[in-house]
Amino acid sequence: MTHSIDGLDRRAFLALVGAAPLAVTEARAQATPKRGGVLKVSAPSNPSSLDPTTGGAGSDHVFLYTMFDTLVAFDYATLQPVPGLAESWSYPDDTTLVLNIRPGVLFHDGTPCDAEAVKANFDRNRFDERSNVKPDLATVADVTVTGPQQVTLKLKQPDTALPLILSDRAGMMSSPKAFKELGRGHDRAPVGAGPWKFVSWADNERIVVTRFDQYWQPGKPYLDGIELQVIPEVNTGLRSVIAGQNDFVYFLSPQQKTVIDRAKNLTSVTGPTLYCVLLYMNWGRPPLNDVKVRQALNYGVNREEFNQATMNGLSEPAGITLPSAHWAFDAAMAKRYPYDPDKAKALLAEAGYKDGLDLLALGYTDQRHIQRQEVLIEQYRKVGIRLKFQNGTIPEMTNAYMVEKKGDLYLSAWTGRPDPSQTYQLMFAAGSFYNTSRVEAVPEIGPALLETRRYADIPSRKKAFAGLQKIVTENALLVPLVFQWELDAHGPRVKNFKPNLLGKPKFENVYLEG
Amino acid sequence: MIRRRVVQIIPVIVLATFVVFGLLQLVPGDIAVTLAGDNATDARIAQIRQSYGLDRPFLVQYGTWLWNAMHLDLSRSYLSNEPVFDQIMHRFPVTLLIVGSALALSLIIGVPFGILAATRPGSFLDTAVTSVASLGVALPNFWLAMILVATFALSWNWFPATGAVALSRSPSQALLHATLPAIALAASGVATVVQQLRSALIEILSSQYVRTLHAKGLSPAAILWQHGLKNVSVTLLTVVGLLVNRLLGATVVVEAVFAIPGMGSLIVHAAVHKDFPVVQGVVLSMVVIVILLNLLIDILYTVLDPRVALK
Repeated sequence: MTHSIDGLDRRAFLALVGAAPLAVTEARAQATPKRGGVLKVSAPSNPSSLDPTTGGAGSDHVFLYTMFDTLVAFDYATLQPVPGLAESWSYPDDTTLVLNIRPGVLFHDGTPCDAEAVKANFDRNRFDERSNVKPDLATVADVTVTGPQQVTLKLKQPDTALPLILSDRAGMMSSPKAFKELGRGHDRAPVGAGPWKFVSWADNERIVVTRFDQYWQPGKPYLDGIELQVIPEVNTGLRSVIAGQNDFVYFLSPQQKTVIDRAKNLTSVTGPTLYCVLLYMNWGRPPLNDVKVRQALNYGVNREEFNQATMNGLSEPAGITLPSAHWAFDAAMAKRYPYDPDKAKALLAEAGYKDGLDLLALGYTDQRHIQRQEVLIEQYRKVGIRLKFQNGTIPEMTNAYMVEKKGDLYLSAWTGRPDPSQTYQLMFAAGSFYNTSRVEAVPEIGPALLETRRYADIPSRKKAFAGLQKIVTENALLVPLVFQWELDAHGPRVKNFKPNLLGKPKFENVYLEG
Repeated sequence: MIRRRVVQIIPVIVLATFVVFGLLQLVPGDIAVTLAGDNATDARIAQIRQSYGLDRPFLVQYGTWLWNAMHLDLSRSYLSNEPVFDQIMHRFPVTLLIVGSALALSLIIGVPFGILAATRPGSFLDTAVTSVASLGVALPNFWLAMILVATFALSWNWFPATGAVALSRSPSQALLHATLPAIALAASGVATVVQQLRSALIEILSSQYVRTLHAKGLSPAAILWQHGLKNVSVTLLTVVGLLVNRLLGATVVVEAVFAIPGMGSLIVHAAVHKDFPVVQGVVLSMVVIVILLNLLIDILYTVLDPRVALK
């Protein structure tokens, strides 16, 4: 079977056709991008590593995108796959993926990014002891070079999630010469094929990249370079932009929107993201092994009130783990649990908790999370669920809930993955780290997961995801609360920045004026 | 005395680093989970724990660190893989500049006002100085820091709001960046110097030998400069020693407000993520600094007051 990569469904196609005249008007109205200048960015965290294979933090991507291009890119608005370093791909049969690598692409050290280089990257990602991306490529059985610019992947089972997985770390191509010569040193002196090349990294202080003159996209990048200053405290980061020391700050909290609006020289950028604030549940033991209790938790929360009270209204109430802008969004399932305290009470009574239920939740100590906890405690109190929080830092509580199995619930977030099957796999599959029970809640999960990776075209995949989402939602395997919108702020020099649904800023289209 | 102090350093270092290491073990959390990242699996976490030696017994881990430290190897950060020694050497000058500037400001402002207040006890000036000093002690430095940023950096644009520049790169820029943090840190330092100097000087100026000096016909200025300040210098030296220790601790908060890559932010980040080689390295360097400072002050005591040496 051969599938087109442009498998748009009817709605998406019509949206594109409808948007075309508007896009033309916008394009005419837009000024020609100017080349030059160094963008100064306030970044909220130090990278775990600048090697995409060995790093692990979701916040690394903003740094990595500057230096690494991915085999597959994604559409900013919907996260559908679009060509990247691989100019096309196809599935000749269920278990074969052929990638056609774009000719003429060079790494920053001058070596070619051809089929041999891509295979070397796959081999490293799959077998290197320090690789953190092995789970992403678990379905790959063999990688062979089938032409100077062609790589063929033999798969253990059908896996149509791979193109979008290759828009993440696993698809970021590093120079084989560099990672072989530098070894562990490649963590701190990476060599990719992205628009900018690495200059320096002062730990917890600053990362500097400069234009790669032989970048494969003609005319790009527009910026001469980017300086990312690590400022962990986001209020301080925002102040640095107000003061004009930096041009751009990202990952701001919704509460900071007021500050941005008050500052005369700042522009705020918001957009939907996959970042879902939610309650994880341990369904492997009482009382959350009872689906009625889990459903009561979903009926008992007023998501719109939560949004207004804790997110400054800057989020989208979440019914499932995908926001409405996503290509696999299922509107029917998203409305499965409207706020219904009476229904929640009735379900609790049916489950044998007529006099209420005590639950221990884990959470974080910072002000924003305490506020979220207070709202949830009050909302659940009304339906007879007495929620008690035990708080700590993110590393402490992640370990306590996911490893030590403490608590019934965990108020945290899911940052999202390029392919939705990754999200479902990581959260609900047996043995997965983010499934703290380590067991499947219902046996239908496994086959439904496989089904989402069987079809390559978007409409078929969307249908498969609807089936999986139905199982997850009917069994109430988590309590999605809201999708936090991306909130960034930039100074007047910054032009043409567009947020993306993944919520991790890319600067490839940005230019500076003045 | 120096030899005795150097010998004293060793058990203090061992005890301090052992206690900190023990406390880190008690804190929940596991750096292996952080290192495994978003794609964490139980197998990968176990592999990381093994490869970093985190699965070894507590005493073995501490003993290995201590043995390496004795051979001048402070190990590498688990998070960044950077040598801890390099990280400290990179960040210490930044913190030192802020602490040094804050100390200088504390003395430059505190000493004259302390003298003014002490020489006019009960006057309006004395009341005003002591009131402002009380306010200086009470003001939280993070609050003052934010007020300074809002006013002098954001509204008036006189100073940068964040960051630091190395003295070696640009002395003027380095001082410009250090000014607001140093003022925020110095507020309580000024107040402490004023209060301590005033009370010590009042005590000396009201002593019997000063009355005798007055009776001998010495001018009040001569009594103050030749006798009063000389006697109060030992107290001032003690205050300076305590102040430096306090300023080193206070940089943790001020560095966060100004996004300064110094020792304070280094240890906070490392402690939160249980990056124990970095925490141990910073604790070790701080202990050495404090002990060396105390040693220096002890030596200066003997210069200012020869009776100390005789004892």
